[in-house]
Amino acid sequence: MTTVLQAQSLRKCYGALMAVDDLSLEVCEGEVFGLLGPNGAGKTTSINMICGLLKPDAGQVTVRGHVITNGDASIRARVGVCPQNIVLWGQLTCLEQMQFIGEMYGMRGKAARIRAEKLLKELDLIEKKNKLARTLSGGMQRRLNLAMALVHDPEILVLDEPEAGLDPQSRVMVRDYVKSLARRKTIIITTHNMDEADRMADRVAILDQGRLLIVDTPAALKHTVGEGDVLEIDLEHGSMEAALSALRPILPQTSTANHTLVIRARGVVEQLPVVLDALHAVNAQPGEVRLRANTLEDVFISLTGRRLRE
Amino acid sequence: MRAIVIFRKTLREMSRDVWMLGLTLAFTPFFVVLYWIWFSGGSTTYNVILINQDRGVQSPSGSTFNAGDEVIEAIVNEITYADGKPLLKVIHAQDRLEAGPILKDRGAAAFLLIPEDFSETLQKMQNGDRSLSANITFGGDVSNPYYMVAVTLALAGVDGYIQDVTGQQPLIAYVEEPLGASAARSEFETYVPGALIFSVVLLVFLAAMTVAREIETGALQRLQLTRMNSIDLMGGITIALLLIGAVAIASSFGVAVLLGFRSLGPLWVAILVGTIASLSVIGIGMVVASLTRTVSQTFVVANFPLALMMFFSGVIFPMPKVSLFTLAGHDFGLYDILPPTHAVVALNKVLTLGAGLDEVAYELAALTILSVLYFAVGVVLFKRIHLRSG
Repeated sequence: MTTVLQAQSLRKCYGALMAVDDLSLEVCEGEVFGLLGPNGAGKTTSINMICGLLKPDAGQVTVRGHVITNGDASIRARVGVCPQNIVLWGQLTCLEQMQFIGEMYGMRGKAARIRAEKLLKELDLIEKKNKLARTLSGGMQRRLNLAMALVHDPEILVLDEPEAGLDPQSRVMVRDYVKSLARRKTIIITTHNMDEADRMADRVAILDQGRLLIVDTPAALKHTVGEGDVLEIDLEHGSMEAALSALRPILPQTSTANHTLVIRARGVVEQLPVVLDALHAVNAQPGEVRLRANTLEDVFISLTGRRLRE
Repeated sequence: MRAIVIFRKTLREMSRDVWMLGLTLAFTPFFVVLYWIWFSGGSTTYNVILINQDRGVQSPSGSTFNAGDEVIEAIVNEITYADGKPLLKVIHAQDRLEAGPILKDRGAAAFLLIPEDFSETLQKMQNGDRSLSANITFGGDVSNPYYMVAVTLALAGVDGYIQDVTGQQPLIAYVEEPLGASAARSEFETYVPGALIFSVVLLVFLAAMTVAREIETGALQRLQLTRMNSIDLMGGITIALLLIGAVAIASSFGVAVLLGFRSLGPLWVAILVGTIASLSVIGIGMVVASLTRTVSQTFVVANFPLALMMFFSGVIFPMPKVSLFTLAGHDFGLYDILPPTHAVVALNKVLTLGAGLDEVAYELAALTILSVLYFAVGVVLFKRIHLRSG
């Protein structure tokens, strides 16, 4: 696949705080690329550098080989950004502000209006096109916020926490809409929501404390922490150490977390009788037993020793 | 082109912000109406305490001659506005002890003490004795801005009365030749240009706020991603504000004319002066916006140029000229960097002295240069502070 966007050794400091440290990544044409990390990981700083709003202290970002960080507006215009905060002009109608931003990107008035109406229709806002933005509900404002990033038909769309603050109905709508854009546009999504990244992204980069930890497809990332599903067993009685010693010879990917045995294995549910026998043998009494699929959170925990929201 | 897009957008936003637009457009006409209500008849009066200790004298015909009472009557009746309304209001006091607290409370601007022998002295002067002088003691809080006016007017009344009574011809016959229509201006008419300048100066807040709002809401970042530059943004907003400023000035003049304001020169030149002055004040607003990040910050920072423009440009009171250099025969002073300095002079020339466009060309040129200068400073600062990534 063709590389559309390339970040090379990006670094950004705010005083003593290293917000982004030596970030390098490549985003391919038509893919949905997720930037996953907890709050303060450097996601927003990274995308601000990627879209040319923020000048890196070191490194550079190129879009199809053209450096975006040198202030060239035509390169910058290839990227559409949907910010995390709702940025709208409250005294303009939906249509007016979309036409306005389109014209600011150099589109002719009529073309901007046609494009705006198309987007409003796609995001189910067409009936509100002549309503002032400040009169819309929060969910509608978020959808309009997204539409504003697409008026000028950018090649790359950057979505900063696109599902933040959305009601369930709007969340589904935005998710479906972003999926519908995939392949036609290159999409970069920042999120601290592992499910969102897992569901939407073709590849995920995990950031923590300004550093890129790993980049791969969600499936491959989950594979790194173990194949198959995860069995979690809370112990009611018995020694955790003894239980761990009894299980590890049978299921090597067994660990503990907060008084819970965590067992990863392909077809782990079939191993349940063996697990229960082993626990019985060391006088360990299981309490609640849970079965779940591997998640990106498991990947993050395995890489950092912390949960995403800690 | 993009400046026009921003102009349209700004104008649209402002037209929907009914309170802001209404207050901006109605501010000066409202004050013009208030001035008209207060001053249409020239209603400012200066309070003067008269301590009349005159004993009076018996005239040869047997009647009583009381010059103290007569001079008070003359002061009230002779010192008046053109429509006959008195300029001085007399407050009677028995002695200086009684007058003191009134003066301290600024209940009166000055006192005049008419001595016991006032009638007697005047009677002797009437009889041909020119070796005498009528002694009048006056005083008050000389730091009171009304003091000098009150004393001058009261003493003019006293002088006139004494000359009438004694038949004494004045030593010097003063002939007043007022410039243009300045003598015929009502007090209302003298206040109207000040109100106009004030409304122009207040545009510094609106200009700075309009830009700061884009920064505060994050809209500037969205605009930064487009092909916009600082000239587009500030130019568009400036044109919109200039239009609103011009409408406000024209409507203020319109209201003033309806209420009896007369301009000796062409009114359109006065409106042009006000509009170009608005442009330079908006330029200052752009500089303020460049230095701030929020609307509340602009309120704090904009007070600084506002105070400079109000107190050092001659709008409220004349300032001594601090010359810097001479250019093309014009002495350029320190306060000439403040747009209202030129606007005050130009408006006075047009409205009161009947000047036309050619006679205010220097002031218009100065205002235009200042506008360009402030706008350029605003654009450069804005670009460096707000549009530079990083």
